[in-house]
Amino acid sequence: MLGEFMEQDDQLSSSETASRKASDTTQGTNGLVIQVENVTKAFLTPDQGTMVALQEINLDVPYGEFVTVVGPSGCGKSTLLKLIAGLTPLSGGRILYQGSEVQGLNTKVGYVPQESKLFPWLTLEENVAFGLDSKRYSRQEREHQLRHFINLAGLSGFEKYYPAQLSGGMGKRASIIRALAYEPPVILMDEPFGPLDAQTRMVLQDELLKIWEQKRQTIVFVTHDLVEAVALADRVVVMTHRPANVKDVIQVPMDRPRNIFEIHRQEGFDEAYGRLWNIFRHELNIKR
Amino acid sequence: MAQETSQEQTRSAGAAVAASQAGGFLWKRGLWVTFLRVAIIGGFLLLWEIASGNWIEPFLISSPSRILASMVTGFRSGDLIQHSWVTLQEIAIGFPVGVFLGIGLGYAFGRSQLLAEIFEPIIIALNGIPRTALAPLFIVWLGIGIWSKVGVVFLLTFFLNFFNTYAGMRQMDQEYIDLARLMGAKRWKLTFKVILPAISPYVFTGIRTSIPFSVIGAIVGEFVAATEGVGYFIRQAAGLFRTADVFVGIIVLMLIVIAMDKIAELIERRALQWQARADHVTIQG
Repeated sequence: MLGEFMEQDDQLSSSETASRKASDTTQGTNGLVIQVENVTKAFLTPDQGTMVALQEINLDVPYGEFVTVVGPSGCGKSTLLKLIAGLTPLSGGRILYQGSEVQGLNTKVGYVPQESKLFPWLTLEENVAFGLDSKRYSRQEREHQLRHFINLAGLSGFEKYYPAQLSGGMGKRASIIRALAYEPPVILMDEPFGPLDAQTRMVLQDELLKIWEQKRQTIVFVTHDLVEAVALADRVVVMTHRPANVKDVIQVPMDRPRNIFEIHRQEGFDEAYGRLWNIFRHELNIKR
Repeated sequence: MAQETSQEQTRSAGAAVAASQAGGFLWKRGLWVTFLRVAIIGGFLLLWEIASGNWIEPFLISSPSRILASMVTGFRSGDLIQHSWVTLQEIAIGFPVGVFLGIGLGYAFGRSQLLAEIFEPIIIALNGIPRTALAPLFIVWLGIGIWSKVGVVFLLTFFLNFFNTYAGMRQMDQEYIDLARLMGAKRWKLTFKVILPAISPYVFTGIRTSIPFSVIGAIVGEFVAATEGVGYFIRQAAGLFRTADVFVGIIVLMLIVIAMDKIAELIERRALQWQARADHVTIQG
């Protein structure tokens, strides 16, 4: 059914998508924002061979879900995000975003890269405002969005600072609110807390959840940290070694809002973490 | 979060204290450096003055006092001002045109793979030509007036700016472009808010290294054939063994280069204020 209207022109399919989205939210079924269907991605290696990074991956993400993706390093988790964002072409299969196939750049997602990647030549304020397009946001709205998110991230007073003058944690926060500020329905995060120390990491996880509770956008969050994966997610997607595939999907039965600092004591954590660890242990054994 | 912020503030306050303590030390050190510098230059000039006429013939090396006298008469008569004015005009036209076209083409090569593939070998081949050797040809094409010199200035400036800008484009971090495009940046915004600022350190390196070369271009052109200009002035003075005047010409050229570099430095400071400046790398061992 999706394949049919994909063939039609853009206008039609987008109106169809809109109506589909509306009906989905009322029915609560099939309300998917991202559909990854049989996606394969192969790279050319320097010696003219091919290396299959992702093999026939399938993944559905409903609206408003917080999904984390875990897997051994180098298994193609980041590649999956790049494919959803349309930053790199597929080798096979297709990805539907809000019901239409991703072709070229997907400007309806926010992207938080591994390193902060704030534009070093813009001030914190200018960085956060970068996605607030003047056609979509009036000057007042722009100003309001900016204040709101800068306050939320505890960065007020640092508006005029350049990224080189900010600490690692502050840069990270700025990088996240830069992606949130223009309100894309989906935010892709590629190990954003990877290089941070344990304390800052927890503080930022806590802040991220608090910010997320307000709007509940869809988040696809790649990480290699199992605790982080369980603590943040509604659902954890486990990927295998290269060529990567989806090994398993685990529901995390914990209530929200969650307390990151005492996540171990929360009901449901042990169960989810235990299941995740079992799968991982298996995966490690195979490797040996 | 609040805790972390206050930690950060404490840290920066500590840094400020350390900086002010170092400030006193740096100030004294700065004074000492200036003193030594003046002493070395003064000593050199004194030695020169004594050597001239006593150990070495004045017509070979002139002397600081003679050079100063020549300079005063040169400027008083208006002669030197006229020559400097002509040379400045040649640079003022050739240099900015070379800078803008060089940056523009470097940018275009960076944006268009096809353009780069077609023209890169050609540009590299052209760059292999010792460009000052083309000066006589420019005289033949454009006459002995200022335009032939403008051409040489342009040629020397253009290539340096082109290569530096193109190098900047090639090392540009793709992730910045991807992020900007995901955030909806289109052509104009992508060019002026992302790409140009990202490559600006390279662009400024190009501009600043091309400053002395633009002056060299003008002088070489004037050496070959001219009726006016500082290069002409120097050549004529040397032909008549008026060594003091040769030095006067050289000093004028030096002042032109220093003035241009200072202006470029000011602009660069403003444009690149976002860069954390590390003036000296310390190697401990």
